Amino acid sequence: METTASIAQSNTRAATRHGRFWRITAIARNAFREAVRDRVLYNLVLFVLLLTGASIFIGELSGGQERKVIVDLGLSAMLLFGVFIAIFVGVGLVYKEIERRTIYAVFSKPVGRGEFLVGKYFGLCLTLLVNVLVMAVGVSLALVYVSHGWDPLILTIWPAVLLIYMELMLLTAVALLFSSFSSPALSALLTFLVFIIGHFSADLKSLAGSLGSSSARWLFTGLYYLLPNLANYSFITPAAHGRAPSPGFVFATALYAFIYIVVVLSAATLVFSRRNFK
Amino acid sequence: MAKDINDRTRTIILGLVVLVGITCAALLVSWMDTLRPPDDPYAIDESLYLNGKTARRISLSFNGLAADWYWMRSLQYVGKKILSVPEDVPIDNMGQLQMSLLAPLLDTATTLDPEFLDPYEYAAVVLPSVDVQEAIRITQKGIAANPNAWRLYQHLGYIYWQQHDYQAAAETYGRGAQIPGAPAWMEAMKAKMAADGGSRATAREIYTQMYEQSSDEQVRDMAHKRLLQLDSLDQRDVLRKLLSAYQARAGRCPNSWKELEPVFRTVRVPIDASGAPLDPTGIPYNLQRDTCEVELNPKSEIPVK
Repeated sequence: METTASIAQSNTRAATRHGRFWRITAIARNAFREAVRDRVLYNLVLFVLLLTGASIFIGELSGGQERKVIVDLGLSAMLLFGVFIAIFVGVGLVYKEIERRTIYAVFSKPVGRGEFLVGKYFGLCLTLLVNVLVMAVGVSLALVYVSHGWDPLILTIWPAVLLIYMELMLLTAVALLFSSFSSPALSALLTFLVFIIGHFSADLKSLAGSLGSSSARWLFTGLYYLLPNLANYSFITPAAHGRAPSPGFVFATALYAFIYIVVVLSAATLVFSRRNFK
Repeated sequence: MAKDINDRTRTIILGLVVLVGITCAALLVSWMDTLRPPDDPYAIDESLYLNGKTARRISLSFNGLAADWYWMRSLQYVGKKILSVPEDVPIDNMGQLQMSLLAPLLDTATTLDPEFLDPYEYAAVVLPSVDVQEAIRITQKGIAANPNAWRLYQHLGYIYWQQHDYQAAAETYGRGAQIPGAPAWMEAMKAKMAADGGSRATAREIYTQMYEQSSDEQVRDMAHKRLLQLDSLDQRDVLRKLLSAYQARAGRCPNSWKELEPVFRTVRVPIDASGAPLDPTGIPYNLQRDTCEVELNPKSEIPVK
């Protein structure tokens, strides 16, 4: 009797887990479709124009350094466009649903708050993945064009692209956290500040070390560990010199991004669960 | 119907306003450009707002792109200065042009991206005639950041050689030769510098290596011209000897090159139809009859200095 009950319970749990996966997938798919409908991917046109222009004209301006400039320009534009998408689309993911009151319809169905947030998050991550992949292919083609054939830099840019994507995933999670409790404008501002401070994390640590006051030292050391360390995801400049990060480094940054995203999304779910949508 | 016509008229009018407005604005800008006084090549440039360290700090992940920007600014800056003077100025001899921004621009580019080797080469070739101490400092900074880049030792050795500090040049080439992957000629350059630093053979070796190794078109062009200049100096030495011999024999300077044509043919000096000897670029040399000296033709591309 006990065995039958435990089997039934385990089946229910499995079904719930299975259902949760499909609900998250459905929300993610809708978030991706919405981003495409909102013409978010139109930035790719601008990117292609930028790279095409650079490939044709940069040779004359850069004194024979067109390959380096193409990689620097392509990957920097990839990061910049990605950051704008992560911030401006990310902060509107939840807010738009509340404003249009569609969130009530969503929550009238058996969808959890956490599932909703995670689904939205993966939807935007999918948009960013498409964006980043198309851009990386664009940079590779531009390198083929300027080198008149195969260029070894084509291989070394991909680990840097992976790191950029991880950084964007991290930033999207941060944008989602802020948007779960504040207005889009404030969320965008706060996320942008996190992006900037995240790249200054080494300065935070050295600042903490140089301060005389112990409370200030604790504060800056705390901030150093609390805020995302985005400087580790900057591999654009070495990639332009043909250097790729070691697999161990990529693994460590991936693990850090995973842990940080889990923490931030959990916090976002916690805050979002307390909001009243009844 | 009437509303449609009104809409169309309004569209046409607004379209025309945009077109005519843009055209007028472009014409006005072009007219204002003619009114603006030309840039003074000797004017003192406004200094950079940011130094390298600050620029690196605020560039976030975009330091590579910012370095490219400063590098291209350096090239544009030098190019603009060269174009602003009527005479042809070789890039390794631009001391007379006010180029106070070149060192800060190259310094910022190399602080933003210390592995970017081309600005160091530019600093070694172009900067010594403007500010030799800065050229040495920037190249040494490059060596500190890229201890395995033997080419930076080549650049630093070149600066010392230009300053006639053959001992320092020999030591620098020697240090560069110790780096794994450094070519064998670095060691040979060390010996040449120590034994015969000021000779034309050493200069020829330096410029040949620079011409073969550099990826910068301006630097290669400069090295090529310097090699032509060395060939021309050798040629002029031969011509001077022939002139002296003629003077000793005839007791006067020849009236024209034509009088020396048979001798030129014997010693296989290239000559044109009038019998005048040709420099390595194919331009005839001038004969200064009052001093009985051979001189470069002003039309020649070979640098005088």
